[in-house]
Amino acid sequence: MDVLTPDDYSAGLHFLGLPLLAWIPLLPLLGALINLTLGRKLSRTTVHVIAVAAVAAAAGIAFYVVFGPMFDLYKHDYGGVGISQSPFVWIKIGGFTAEMRFRLDTLSAVMILIVTFIGTLIHIYSTGYMAHDPRFAAFFGYLNLFTGAMLILVLGANLPVMFIGWEGVGLCSFLLIGFWFENEDFATAGRKAFVVNRIGDFCFLLGMFLLYWATKDLAGSKDASLDFFLLKSAPAQQTYMQSFWGGERLAAAAGIFLFIGACGKSAQLPLYVWLPDAMAGPTPVSALIHAATMVTAGVYMVCRMSFLFATSTTALIVVSTVGLLTAMVAAFMALAQQDLKKVLAYSTVSQLGFMFVAAGTGNWTAAIFHLGTHAFFKACLFLGAGSVMHGMEHGGSHTPGDIMTMGGLRKHMPITRVTFMISCLAIAGIFPFSGFFSKDEILGGAFHIHPPGWPVWYGKILWGGLLVAALGTAFYMWRLYFLVFGGEERSEPAKKAHESPLSMTLPLVVLATFATIIGFIGFPHFKSFETPAPMHALASWLEPSVAHEWYEGAGKPAEPIGEASLAEVKACDNRNAKDVCALPGGEGEGVCDVAEPGAKPACSEPGDTGLIGLLILALGIGGLGIGLAWSMYGAGRGGPSRTVQELTEGPLHDVYEASKHKLWVDEIYDAVFVKPFRALARGLFEIVDRFVIDTVAVTGVAFVIGLFGRMSRWFQNGQVQRYLVGLVVGAAAVFLVTDCHTKPTFSYERQPGGTIHLHAQVAGLMRATSVVKWDLDDDGQPDPGVTGIDLVKRADEVAGEVTMWIDDPVDGKTDKVTRTIDLSEDN
Amino acid sequence: MTDIVFHVGYGHFLVLAAVLFLIGMAGVLVRRNALIILMSVELMLNAANMTLIAFSRMWGDLSAHTFALIVIAVAAAEAAVGLAIVVAVFRGRRNVEVDHLTTLRH
Amino acid sequence: MIAARKAAAIAVLAGLALAFVLACFARPAVAQPAGETGDAPAQVQQPAPQAPQGYVSGHTIHEDKYESHETGMALLFWAFAAATVGGALFVITRRNLIAAVMGMVGSFLGIAAVYMMLYASFLAVLQMLVYAGAIMVLFVFVIMILNRPEDEPVAPTGRAGTALGALSILYIVGRLAMLLMHVHPPAGEAAVEAARKQLDDTRSVIAGIKDSPDAARHRELAEANEAAAELQYAKVASLSVPPPTREGYEWGSVRAVGTDLFDGGLFPFEAISILLLVAVVGAIAIARPLKDDTTGHAGELP
Repeated sequence: MDVLTPDDYSAGLHFLGLPLLAWIPLLPLLGALINLTLGRKLSRTTVHVIAVAAVAAAAGIAFYVVFGPMFDLYKHDYGGVGISQSPFVWIKIGGFTAEMRFRLDTLSAVMILIVTFIGTLIHIYSTGYMAHDPRFAAFFGYLNLFTGAMLILVLGANLPVMFIGWEGVGLCSFLLIGFWFENEDFATAGRKAFVVNRIGDFCFLLGMFLLYWATKDLAGSKDASLDFFLLKSAPAQQTYMQSFWGGERLAAAAGIFLFIGACGKSAQLPLYVWLPDAMAGPTPVSALIHAATMVTAGVYMVCRMSFLFATSTTALIVVSTVGLLTAMVAAFMALAQQDLKKVLAYSTVSQLGFMFVAAGTGNWTAAIFHLGTHAFFKACLFLGAGSVMHGMEHGGSHTPGDIMTMGGLRKHMPITRVTFMISCLAIAGIFPFSGFFSKDEILGGAFHIHPPGWPVWYGKILWGGLLVAALGTAFYMWRLYFLVFGGEERSEPAKKAHESPLSMTLPLVVLATFATIIGFIGFPHFKSFETPAPMHALASWLEPSVAHEWYEGAGKPAEPIGEASLAEVKACDNRNAKDVCALPGGEGEGVCDVAEPGAKPACSEPGDTGLIGLLILALGIGGLGIGLAWSMYGAGRGGPSRTVQELTEGPLHDVYEASKHKLWVDEIYDAVFVKPFRALARGLFEIVDRFVIDTVAVTGVAFVIGLFGRMSRWFQNGQVQRYLVGLVVGAAAVFLVTDCHTKPTFSYERQPGGTIHLHAQVAGLMRATSVVKWDLDDDGQPDPGVTGIDLVKRADEVAGEVTMWIDDPVDGKTDKVTRTIDLSEDN
Repeated sequence: MTDIVFHVGYGHFLVLAAVLFLIGMAGVLVRRNALIILMSVELMLNAANMTLIAFSRMWGDLSAHTFALIVIAVAAAEAAVGLAIVVAVFRGRRNVEVDHLTTLRH
Repeated sequence: MIAARKAAAIAVLAGLALAFVLACFARPAVAQPAGETGDAPAQVQQPAPQAPQGYVSGHTIHEDKYESHETGMALLFWAFAAATVGGALFVITRRNLIAAVMGMVGSFLGIAAVYMMLYASFLAVLQMLVYAGAIMVLFVFVIMILNRPEDEPVAPTGRAGTALGALSILYIVGRLAMLLMHVHPPAGEAAVEAARKQLDDTRSVIAGIKDSPDAARHRELAEANEAAAELQYAKVASLSVPPPTREGYEWGSVRAVGTDLFDGGLFPFEAISILLLVAVVGAIAIARPLKDDTTGHAGELP
C-alpha cells in the first residue's frame, strides 16, 4: 500500500461533510450551545450527559486522529506537515486572507490529547463536585465552551484563528472565575483576570500585526496570511532578521510582544496577579483552566512560534529571565500561604515559570514535556484539593480552604490522600514520577545552554535559580501535604470529613496514574521503536514541529554562531555524551556541521558523569525540600512545629511576612497603577462626565432646545392665524432674498488662443433670467445679436471700452456698466 | 407717471389682482371672526380669478375662463360648507371667533 | 346697516372722485393702439376704416374693436379698481358684519367690471350672479342668523406678529406691483413679430406685382390683403382688441366659453357638479340641528 501523504489525509478525513479536525472543537461548542440555551429546561442528568459526551467524543476523535493518521504521517517524516483542513474562509479583505484552518501536527497533537483527556476527566469530576449548584447548566456550558475555545487555540493553523481561541478561553476564564458572582470578591477576581489578560492580549495583537506587516509581501501571504507554515518558511525567516529597532531584529520586537501576551495568559511576572485570585472559581475550573490547559496556552504559543524566538537571542533572554524570576518569586510566595488553593495557584505560576525558562533556552521539547506532566499532576492536585474542600465543607467548615484547620485527613480520605501524595512527589521531582523527568530536562537544558550572544554563565544562573525554585517547590508542596493529611486533626470539620464520591475519586486515580507513568515517555533511552532519531520519544515526536536551529532557516549556513544547535543541546540532555556528535541530524539539515573546528560544541562540555551528577543533584534538592517540610510540619502530631513558630517570630519574621503578603505586589500595583488610574477616572468623571457631558452636552442641549421651544411657542400656539403670519413672512423673505443684489458688473479674462471671456455678474437671483446686452465696438449702442451672460470673443473684436446693459426684471430699470479692457495687461 | 396712469396694460390688472389677494390675506390674518375670514378667502379667490382672466387675455387662451368658472363653483361650494360650519360652531359655542376654536390643538 | 350704507356710499364716491381726477389729467385721445410692446410701427396709426372680410384669417372681424379708447378705458379701470380695493378694505376693516358684506358686494361688482374690461363678458355676468347675488345672500342670511357683533375684531396674532405681517404684506404688494407692471405677453411679442412679417411680405408682394398684366385686379386684392395684415398686426399688438376664438366665436362670449367648457373641460364640469352636490348635502348635514337639539343650540360640539 502506498504511503498516504498529508494531502491524502487532509482531503480524506471528513465526517458529515465537515473536516474531522473541525469536529474536535465543534463538538464541545455544540454542547455549550445546547447547555447554555436549553440547559435550564433540561434535567441535571441530561446536562451532565451532554457536557461529558461532547468532550469525550472530542477526545475520542482526537485520540483516533493522533494515533491513527497522525502517527502514520509521523512515521513517514510528515510530522511537521501534519493534517491541515479548512472548513471555510473566514476573513478575506484585500491582500489579507485568513481561513478557518485547523492543522494537526505533532505539537498540536500533544496539546489536543492533553486538553481533551484532562478535560474529560474534569468534566466527570465536575458532575460530582457541582452536584448541588443550581446553575449547573451554565457551568457545564462554560466548561464546554472553554474546551472548544482551547481546542481552536491549539488547532488553529494561523495566528488569527489561534486568537479566536485565545480570546475564547479568556472569556470562559472570566465567566468561570466569577461563576459565583453573588460574592463581590469573586466577581472582582473575574474582572481582574479579564482586565489583566486584556493587557497581554493587546500585546499579542501588536505582535500579530507586526508579523503580518513583516510577511505581507511574501509569496503566499495573500492566500494564507499569518499561517504558521508561511511564518516559518525561509523567506519569512529572512524578514525576521531585518534590523527593526535599536539594532534588534524584527523577531525580537515581535517575539517580545507575543511573549507579553503569553505573560498575561500564562500568568508570568508582572501579569501573574490574576491567577491567585482566580481561585475564586469552582475548583474543577481551577484544575482545568488555571492549572492544566489555559494557562499553558502561552507556553504552547511560544513553542508554536519557536522559529521566531529562535531568531532572536534578545527575545529568548527576555523569556527565560521572566520565567526564572516568576518561578522563584512565585515559589517564595507559596511558602507561607494558608489557603489550600492559593498554594496550588502560586505553585502553578512557578511551574509555568519553569516552562518559560525551558522555552527561553530553546528547549521546546522540555517546555512541552513539562507542560504535559504538569497538566496531569497539577490537575490531580487541584482536584484533590477540591475533594478535600468538598469533604471539609461536608464536615461543617466555613473556610474549607484553610489548611491550618485541617490535618489528619489521611484517615478520612484515603484515595484523595494517595493521589495527592503521588502528585506531590511528581511536582517535587522524585524519581520515577513524571515531574522528575520533565523538570530535570529543563534544568539540564538550562545548564548547557549557549545560544549565540548569551553570556556564557547565564545558563548557569538560570540553572541555579531553578534549583532554588525547585527546592522551594518541594518544600511548600510537602508542607501543604503534611498540613492537610499529616498529623492529627486540628478542627472539628476535619474530624467529620469524609471521602468524596466515585465521580470525583475516579478522575483522581486516573490522573495520579498518569502523573506516575507519563514521565517515561521522556525516559532517555525509551526510544520510539520505529524512529531512528536518537532522542527520547517525546522529543523525537515533537522535533518536526519546533525549530531546531538558532538563527537561520533550513539550508542556510549558520552565521556568526558556531555554537551548538538546539537539537544538540536536547541531545546532550538526554543522551550519553559519546553519542552526541554522531547525531545523524534528521533530514540532513547540517545539525552537526556547526560543530566544526573553531566552533565549540556545547556537547563536549558535560560528560556522562556531569549529566548523572545533575540528575542526582536535582533529586537531592527534591529530597531536601521534602525533608525540611517533614521536619517543620510533618513530625510529631503534625501542624507547624515549634521551630516554625520560632523562626517566623524571630529571625525570619520579615521574610515570612513578605511571603505571606505575596511581596505586597497587589498593594504595589494598587498604589502604582490602580490608584492613579482611579484618580484619573475620577477627574475624567468630574470634568468630562459631570461638566462636559452632563452640564454642557445634556443640560446645555436641553437649554438650547428649550430656548427654541420658547421662541417657537410664540407661533406654534394653535392659532392658525399666527401660523399664517409665518407663511406671509416667509413668502416676503423669499422675495427679499431674490431681490438681494449689489451693483452689477462684468469681468473679463484672457484665454489661450487669443480670445477674451466676458462674464456678466448680474448681482441678483431674479436677474439671472435677464437679457444682457453688450456693446463691444464702442459705438454706444448694443450690438445686435450679442447677448448673454457669458461671451467669448476674439481679442481683436473687443475695443477698449465695453458697455453692458442689464435689465432688472423687477423694477424694469436698466443698469449700464462700462469698463475699459486693457489688452496689454496680462490678467 | 402719466404713462402708468393712462396706459392701462396687463400689468395693471395683475397688480390689481395682487393687491386684492393681499388685502384678502391681511383679512385672514388679522380678523377673528370666522365670517370675515370666509369673506377674505372669497376675495383671495376672486383675485386669483382675475389673474387667470388677465393672463388668459394676454396669452389668447380661452381655457382659463373655464378654469375661472370652476373656481367660482368651488368657491360657492366652499362658502356653503364654510358657512354651515360657522353656523354649527355658533350653535355650539355661541360665538364664531377662531381663536376660541383651538380644541383640535391638543 | 346705516354704517354699511354710508361706507358703501363713501367707497363708490371715492372711486368716482378718483376717476374724475384722472380724467382731468387725461391726455387728448390719441389713436395709437395701447400696447405694452411699445414698438408699434407708425404705419398702423391710421388703421383702415373698413375691414375686408376673411382674407387673412377667415374670421369675422369687428370693425370697431381696435379703435382706441385708451384714456376712457384708463379712467374706467381706475374707477373700478378703486371700487374693488375699497370694497375689499371695507371687508377687512369693518366691525359690523353687514357693512363688511356690503363692501364685499362693492368689491365683487368692481371685479365684474374689470372682467368686462378684459372682454370676459360671460364671466363678468356670472360674477355678478353668483358672487354678488347668491353668495352674498348666503352670507347675509348667516349674519342674520348669528346676529352678533364682534367683541374684539383683531385676531390675537400679537403686536409683533401684526407688525411683521403688515410689513411683509406691504413688501409683497410693492414687490409684486413692481414686477407685474412690467409683464409683457411673451407670446404677444412673437405674434407681433409674426404679424409684422406678414405685413412686410404683403407689401413686397404689392411692390412685385406692379408690372404684371392684370395688375389692377391683383392690386385690388393685394391692397385688401395689406389692410387685413395691418389689422391683424394691430390686433395682436394691442390690448384692447381680443382675437376671436379658434371656432370664430367672440372672445369671452357664452358661446366661446361654453364650447371650451363642454369640449375639453367636460370632465371637470361634471366633477364640479358632483362637488356642488356634495357641498350642498354636506352643508345641510353640518348645519342641521342635532337630533335632541330642539332649541336650536346644542351644548358643546362633540
